[in-house]
Amino acid sequence: MFELRLLTIFIAACITHNFVLTYFLGICPFIGVSKKTDAAIGMGLAVTFVMTLSASVTWCIYYFLLNRFGLPFLQYAAFIIVIASLVQIVEMFIKKTSPPLYRALGIYLPLITTNCAILGLTLFMVLREYSFLEAVVYGIGAGLGFTLALVIMAGIREELEFADIPESLKGASITLIIAGMLALAFMGFGGIISS
Amino acid sequence: MDKLVFISILGMGGIGLFFACVLAAANSRLAVKENPKIEEIENALPKVNCGSCGFLNCHEYAVALAEGGQPINACKPGGEDVEKRLADILGVEAEAMVKKIAVVHCAANGTVRKKKAEYRGIKTCAAKNMLKGGDVLCDYGCLGSGDCALACPFDAVKMEDGLPLVDPVKCVACGKCISACPRGIISLEEIENCEIIYVACSSRDKGPATRKICPVGCIACGICQKVSSGAFEVNNNLAVPTYEKLKIVEKKRRDYVKMPN
Repeated sequence: MFELRLLTIFIAACITHNFVLTYFLGICPFIGVSKKTDAAIGMGLAVTFVMTLSASVTWCIYYFLLNRFGLPFLQYAAFIIVIASLVQIVEMFIKKTSPPLYRALGIYLPLITTNCAILGLTLFMVLREYSFLEAVVYGIGAGLGFTLALVIMAGIREELEFADIPESLKGASITLIIAGMLALAFMGFGGIISS
Repeated sequence: MDKLVFISILGMGGIGLFFACVLAAANSRLAVKENPKIEEIENALPKVNCGSCGFLNCHEYAVALAEGGQPINACKPGGEDVEKRLADILGVEAEAMVKKIAVVHCAANGTVRKKKAEYRGIKTCAAKNMLKGGDVLCDYGCLGSGDCALACPFDAVKMEDGLPLVDPVKCVACGKCISACPRGIISLEEIENCEIIYVACSSRDKGPATRKICPVGCIACGICQKVSSGAFEVNNNLAVPTYEKLKIVEKKRRDYVKMPN
């Protein structure tokens, strides 16, 4: 039963309650870094990493520190500190290991700090009173869901380069229309799991 | 209550300190060694991040220069000063630089520009262009909303009577106005002593059609071609000068092709 619950949380975070396409969190990188599939995968994995780590670290901080000493009102500030530090570490790591990816992600890499999907994840996790393992699985699921949305979008936009788009819909407009259609498609899964 | 405040400060301070230590450790472990030349080059560049060199910003250009194989005269705002300094740092010879400025290939100012409708909408050229040119009758000419003037980081383009006027001294040919113009009527041309001859029209319509729309448009009569012995060439209903052949320098800046009227 426990495994089933973990699987449910994972599938829900990844597909049926996808952060980008059903909660509309993290739209900035979703639109900004979805021009090329390579960069989209890199960004997705970076966000997945930050999400998983921040889910586990903030869980520890919330339950061992904030909750124990009666400071749950500090969760926003504490979570932001955790996320910002993790993003810094990820940035250094990517700069060291893969300069091309670092250049491809550009400004969107430090912007993961202000990615509302990650803060949203940590706050949902507290709100739904997940256990530690559930929180970690939730983080991985949400991150992979984000990657999935980004990669699908990047794939469509790469094809779109060769499409005959009406003049007035070129650029941002067609991207947002596609994002809306994708959201519709993902919401089609909505009834499968209630979480 | 006091206790709560104390614990809060202690808790947040503790979290902050912990992550500061982690970051410091990560920084020393994951530090990337950068070429010391990069910083030196970057200090020599004007740091306006205009992108005229073809790179994203001054830092990117500095990185590319440090790696070698890049022309050192690509920085247009810096001009010869910067080029000389770059030559010193990189130990290469400075080459002569050609001064270029942006020229607007349209002369129909607010008074002569004919309108086809009243335009009520977003007051930018880009928006007008999407709506079939907004109120402007000509399909090729300036839309007059000053997207180029807004885009200019050097304050070199000013709108005068609905037409952009480029200050040849301030203009460094960064090309921002060229990409801002939805009609593509701005181009970079070489100049000498702030004087230039160019065709102030972009219309590809046939002569009578142009004349009907605009009193100052090029009607492709071909007279310039004859009198200048081939320095101008009428191509696809528009006169285009060949600057190598064009040695005559006229004193008037805003001069366009001689027309029979």
